[in-house]
Amino acid sequence: MKIIVCVKQVPENDSVKIDPKTNDMVRTGAQGVMNPFDRNAIETALELKEKNGGQVILLIMGPDSFTEVLRDGLAMGADSAYLLSSKEFGGADTLATAYTLVAGIKKIGKPDVILFGRQSEDADTGQVGPIVAEDLNIPQATFATKVETISATTLEVDRDLESSIQKVEIKLPAEITVRSEINFPRYETPINIVKSFDKPLTIWNEKDLNVDPDKIGKKGSQTIVTKVYAPKKETKQVKFLSKKAGDAAKTIINELDL
Amino acid sequence: MDELQQKKQMLIQTYKRFTRRELSPIDMQIDQDGMYPVGLFNKVVATGLLSTTLPREYGGAGFDFNATSDALRIMATGNASMAVTLEGHFKTIEQFIKYGNKQLNDKHLPSASQRIFAFSMTEPSGGSNPLGISTIAKKVGDDWVISGDKIMITNGGLAQVYCILCKTDDDQMAVFVVDKDMPGFSFGKKEDFIGLRGTPVGEVVLNKVRVPGYHLLGKVGQGLEIGDNAHADARVLMGAVLAGITEHALNVAVDYSKERKAMDTLLFQMQVTQEKIADIAIKRQNIVNLYRSAANNKVANKPYRELAAMAKSYGSRAAVISGDEALQILGGYGYSREYPVEHLIRDARAMELAEGTIEKMNIEITNAEIAK
Repeated sequence: MKIIVCVKQVPENDSVKIDPKTNDMVRTGAQGVMNPFDRNAIETALELKEKNGGQVILLIMGPDSFTEVLRDGLAMGADSAYLLSSKEFGGADTLATAYTLVAGIKKIGKPDVILFGRQSEDADTGQVGPIVAEDLNIPQATFATKVETISATTLEVDRDLESSIQKVEIKLPAEITVRSEINFPRYETPINIVKSFDKPLTIWNEKDLNVDPDKIGKKGSQTIVTKVYAPKKETKQVKFLSKKAGDAAKTIINELDL
Repeated sequence: MDELQQKKQMLIQTYKRFTRRELSPIDMQIDQDGMYPVGLFNKVVATGLLSTTLPREYGGAGFDFNATSDALRIMATGNASMAVTLEGHFKTIEQFIKYGNKQLNDKHLPSASQRIFAFSMTEPSGGSNPLGISTIAKKVGDDWVISGDKIMITNGGLAQVYCILCKTDDDQMAVFVVDKDMPGFSFGKKEDFIGLRGTPVGEVVLNKVRVPGYHLLGKVGQGLEIGDNAHADARVLMGAVLAGITEHALNVAVDYSKERKAMDTLLFQMQVTQEKIADIAIKRQNIVNLYRSAANNKVANKPYRELAAMAKSYGSRAAVISGDEALQILGGYGYSREYPVEHLIRDARAMELAEGTIEKMNIEITNAEIAK
C-alpha cells in the first residue's frame, strides 16, 4: 500500500502573535513544529503500513527549513519525504497549495491513500485535503476517527460528525483527513531520530513539477486575507443559585431587574 | 540549523512530548505514592529513552552530554524522579564506554536500551569516602568472587546491572559488573526518602557472587578513578535536573502570581513578588549555564570536573532556595501538598547529598582553584 501523508509546519502551541500593523502572523521567535493533527495522519499511515505492507511517503510545501518537520515524520517511521520548495510557491492560499501538492503527488506516482490531518492548527481551514481529492478526482472521507482495511482496494472509515458517526466504505485510491481522536501518535525514539537522517529526502521546485505559473503561489490564490486579529477576551460571571426554588427564583427576578 | 543541532532539537521535542503526556500529569501522584505507577517504566523503555546516550554500535542513539543534559532538564520540569532515574543509568553507561573492555561491552551494552544500569559505591560505613569500603573481591582462578553490602544505590531494585566498587584481596580498588540474576545476588532494604520519591533507592547484598575476569571494569587499582569519573558525569546531569526543578518552581510561581490578587493587585505586580520571581529566574539561568559549560567541556574533551561540581553544589542549594521562595509566593497553598512546590524543595534537597555532598563539592572546587 503506497500512502502519501501531506503535512505542514506550524508555530508551536500558542506562541504565534499577530502584528497589529500588517495583520500578518508573526512567526519569528516561535519554534516551528509539525501540525499536531498531521502526526495523527502519519500514525494512521504507519498503522496501515504495518497491516498491509507498503511505504509511507511524506509531502510538504514550504521553505527549505521545513525539512525539519519532514525529519520528525521520518523519525516517527515514514520511509521517505518530499519538500516542494520555491519562492514561487510563497503566499499560496488553500487552492494554490492543493494545486502544488497535487503536482507533487502526481510526480511521486500513484498512491493508494493520501492522508491529511483534519486541519492545520494555525490557519484552521481544513480545506486543502478535500481540494486535493477534488483535483485528483478521487473519493474522500473527512473527520476520520477510524480507518480499517477491508480489502486491497477498499477501506472502511468512521467519520465523526459530532452528533453522529458515519461509517463509509471507500474505494482506493482515496483521500482521508483524520481527527486527533483517531489515535495517539507514537514518539520519535532517540534511535529513530538519528536514523531519520539516513532516509531519503527530496526537494523539488516549480520547474521539477512542471506546474502552471498562474496557478501557484500568490498568483494562483483566489482568497486574500484582509485582516487577522486576536479576538478580545471576555470573561463572564457565573452565579450559582440556591437549591431552594423560591430563593433561586428571587435571585433570577433580581438579576433580570423585573 | 546543522544536522547535529537538528537531532538535538528533535530529541528535546521527544522528551518534551513524553514529559507533558506521561509524567507531568502524574508528578504529584508519583511523589505521594513514593513509586512509579505500574507500566510507566515500560513506556520509558518503549520510547527508547534508555538508549539516548548508548553508542550506535550497541544499538543506541549515541547522543552526547550536551543534548542529553538539556533533554533531562526538560524532563525534570515535569518530574525530577524519572530524570534522576535516567541520570543514574546514563552516568553508568559512560563508565562502560570509557573503561569497559570489548568482551564486557559486547555482552552487556546491547541490553542497555532495555535494562537499567546502576553504579554503586556507598556502604553502611560511609558514602563519599570510598577508601573505607569493605566489599571484597577475591581472585579465584580467572574469576572474581565478590561479597559485601552496598546501600543507597540510585535505581537499586529497578536496575538489572550493577557496577560495584570493591577492594581486592591485595587491597586495591576495582569496579566489577554484576548482573542481578547471578547466584548470590539479592536486594535489601528500599530507602524511604523524603524527596525524589519515584526514584527507587535501595540496597544490594552480594554473597560470594562469582563473576568472570572480563567483568572487571577498567583495571585493578583504577576503582577510585572510575568512581570519580562516574561522580563527575552524574553531577553534570544532576545540574540539568536541578535547573529543571527550579524551572518547575518558577513556572508554578509565575502562573500563580498572574492569577492571585492581594489587596486588588495581582501578585506579580507587587515588588515583593517580583524580587522573588527574578531571583528564581536568575538562579535557574545560572544553573543552566553551569551544567552546559560542564557538558560542553566534556563533549570537547576538556576538563569538566570542577564545573560539574559547581553545577551540583550551586544548583542544589539554588534549587532548594528557589523552591522555598516559590512556596512563599504561594503562601498557604505553597505549604499544601495540593501544590507541587513543597515536593520540589524535597526533590532538590536530595541533590545536596547525592553524588557527593555540597561540602564535598566545595572541597573539590577549592582544591581545583588552589592548584591553578
